[in-house]
Amino acid sequence: MPIISDRVEIERKPKLGGGGPGKIPHRRGFGGGDDGDRGRPEDFRSRNQRMRRYRIGMAVCLVSVTVVFVALTFLYVFRLGKGRYDEDAHQWVRDWIALKLPYLQLWANSLVLLLSSATLELARRAMEKKEEFAAMGIVPPRMRRDLPWLAITLLLGFGFLAGQIIVWNSLRHQGAYLVSNPSRSYFYLLTGTHAVHLAGGLLALLVAAGGRLFALKFESQKIAVEVTSWYWHYLAFLWFGIFALVHFAGS
Amino acid sequence: MPSSTTLNAESRRSFLRRNLFSTDHKMIGRQYFFLSLAAVLVGAWLSLLMRIHLVWPHAAIPFLGEIKPENYLAHLTMHGTLMVFFVLSTVPQAGFGTFFLPLQLGTQNMAFPRLSAAGFWTALTSFLVLMAAFVVPGGASGAGWTQYPPLSALASAGPGQGLGTDLWLLSIGLFCLSSLMSAVGFVATTVRHRAPGMTWMRMPLTCWSWFVTSILILLAFGILLAAVILLMLDRHAGTSFFLPGGLLISGKAIANSGGSPLLWQHLFWFFGHPEVYIAILPAMGVTSHLLSVFARKPVFGYKAMVGATLAIGALGFMVWGHHMFVSGMNPYAGFAFSTLTTAIAVPSAIKTFNWVATLYGGRIRYATPLLFSAGFVSLFITGGLTGPILAQPALDTYLHDTYFVVAHFHLIMAMAGLFAVFSATYFWFPRMFGRMMNERLGRLHFWITLFGAYAIFVPMHLLGIAGHPRRYSDLSGVQYVAAMAPLQKFITLAAIVTIAGQLIFLVNLFWSMRRGPAAETNPWECGTLEWTPASYATNEGPGEWRPQVNHGPYEYNVPGVEQDFIMQDAPAS
Repeated sequence: MPIISDRVEIERKPKLGGGGPGKIPHRRGFGGGDDGDRGRPEDFRSRNQRMRRYRIGMAVCLVSVTVVFVALTFLYVFRLGKGRYDEDAHQWVRDWIALKLPYLQLWANSLVLLLSSATLELARRAMEKKEEFAAMGIVPPRMRRDLPWLAITLLLGFGFLAGQIIVWNSLRHQGAYLVSNPSRSYFYLLTGTHAVHLAGGLLALLVAAGGRLFALKFESQKIAVEVTSWYWHYLAFLWFGIFALVHFAGS
Repeated sequence: MPSSTTLNAESRRSFLRRNLFSTDHKMIGRQYFFLSLAAVLVGAWLSLLMRIHLVWPHAAIPFLGEIKPENYLAHLTMHGTLMVFFVLSTVPQAGFGTFFLPLQLGTQNMAFPRLSAAGFWTALTSFLVLMAAFVVPGGASGAGWTQYPPLSALASAGPGQGLGTDLWLLSIGLFCLSSLMSAVGFVATTVRHRAPGMTWMRMPLTCWSWFVTSILILLAFGILLAAVILLMLDRHAGTSFFLPGGLLISGKAIANSGGSPLLWQHLFWFFGHPEVYIAILPAMGVTSHLLSVFARKPVFGYKAMVGATLAIGALGFMVWGHHMFVSGMNPYAGFAFSTLTTAIAVPSAIKTFNWVATLYGGRIRYATPLLFSAGFVSLFITGGLTGPILAQPALDTYLHDTYFVVAHFHLIMAMAGLFAVFSATYFWFPRMFGRMMNERLGRLHFWITLFGAYAIFVPMHLLGIAGHPRRYSDLSGVQYVAAMAPLQKFITLAAIVTIAGQLIFLVNLFWSMRRGPAAETNPWECGTLEWTPASYATNEGPGEWRPQVNHGPYEYNVPGVEQDFIMQDAPAS
């Protein structure tokens, strides 16, 4: 009968720059992609390894997401500043018509998104606490104090999307359509791209929350919540970037 | 015990799960290989049609009839798209990479096996969508593989510009997703799943190339995806991101106004130039690897090779403007792009000299993979030398729309890339299919392809210098162009012979797959981990392979060691 503490892996924060803290000093010269749980046959499937590889995967995805939004921001600023080229007058003409943004709704949406970010973090922490039970093969008990954070996050996420639809609707009632002016086109484009990304995050959270339905183990559920929370916080950050952009430049 | 249940999980899966919907990286690698093989066959067939049409414009092709100008443009577009996306950026990276990256790093599978599989199935869907464009009304898109608007943005602009172009855009959008999916797995595998002892500086150069290429994919394909979506919006939602005002299409004015076609060019080439390196970096990695194995010498300047790979990757993002010198640009911007482009010659030259130095004084084994690798170096030099010429805005203004550019990029990207793919196929065939390919046929194939490549593309430089414009389907009425007809005819004949020569490869490939002599564990006496006997044990899915790496990847003819090579996982001396 192995000692329990032997089987519980302690989650250690990886330092920046690969290697990881599990590297044994006398092996430093050899380095490599190992994490100290050397010699365990289930390494590839071990909890630490899985978590770390999903984290790297998510970080890499975020790089790709960033590239897309940076490109769209460049286009936005370029189109705003330069205008269009008038063939007849042979000069650049600024034709940007400032957008009247529904600020109340936008701030409400921002608040909802911020709250969802916070509740997702609480969900992640609640799962982290139960992780040791799962590591010992015990079904994690349901604690009375725990609110269903994941479900609340999902609700808030859908709330944000609904709020965005309200924003688009109110713009539509103003007569600001996708095609009427570049300021409209780019506003819909930026917020639309953001919403699509957020919907992807919601889908991942739905799968994580559905857990048992999708035959997910607790461990996988936790990984899904953890990496999605990175993605989610990043999207919240991006949202404020977009908000600042459309507020300070061209509205 | 969890380990014993996972050990043979793969072998207990159903036939379909093992062979079709497998998440094993080796099966996915083979699937990519055959996808690219299908794409290259279609692409080569299209190039043959185009070459025949250029010389005999009114010749009736069996089953297809005469090639009309719009067919020519569609062939041009599809040839470029298939070759660039589905061949050159699929098989060296996703094909061989998915198969060999985990093996060379000493791990059992890619970091995200299901994501890898999803990547392949998305790529296959993307390929089928692209192929569907051939049979829809109006045919395939005719706007070139670069799809410049306004031509690509207006459905009324030509026969293939309706549904054909929509399918093109959909297909490339899917391809972007597929590439991103597989690249995420590549980076995570390289960073997290190296075997104990496999330090960064002990990775084979192939792994370095796959790693850097994955980063390029992550930074570049997102941009293309965004651009494709914007173009789709222009086509179907009425926006004007790329469409300027005042355009007349068959006498009718379009409703859009205020967009910029140059914007597409910037977005496209910001993706498109790194794409060139996405295609060629894995090829460079394979070449470095193979030259070392067959010269029985360590790679000359391993660190310099790694540095050059990184430098090429970084510089690749700063030079996209050199595709747009003639689109109109500030001369200062042109100067900057020109300088940076010329700067890429430095890491490229480092690599070239290192390849030559690797061969110098080696005990060279003249096997087919070596021949093709040496052919790569040769073509890379020939095609590369015209790079600095085209990097000068003044020269490029004259040469840009001529066959000179066609010759340049076909030599350095298409032919060199293809030679690396051939060398990798001959080299890794025993590991992928368990049998050896025929050496004699391989050599014959090499000499035909080498002479063919030069015979096709060297005269094209001359055509370009003489001012023969590219992209036109028929210029027989133009007097100065008509004078170049004999050279064009020679190129076409060379193309026919060369493409016919590829049948030797196909025969060799499929015959060897069934009837070739069984391969030994390590037929080329190569030191990297994919040839260790233990790595074969992972054939049936995740096993317990966990090598301890004690040596560098290219330890050949180490003084004082009896055998002329040391496996990476051999005990430390």
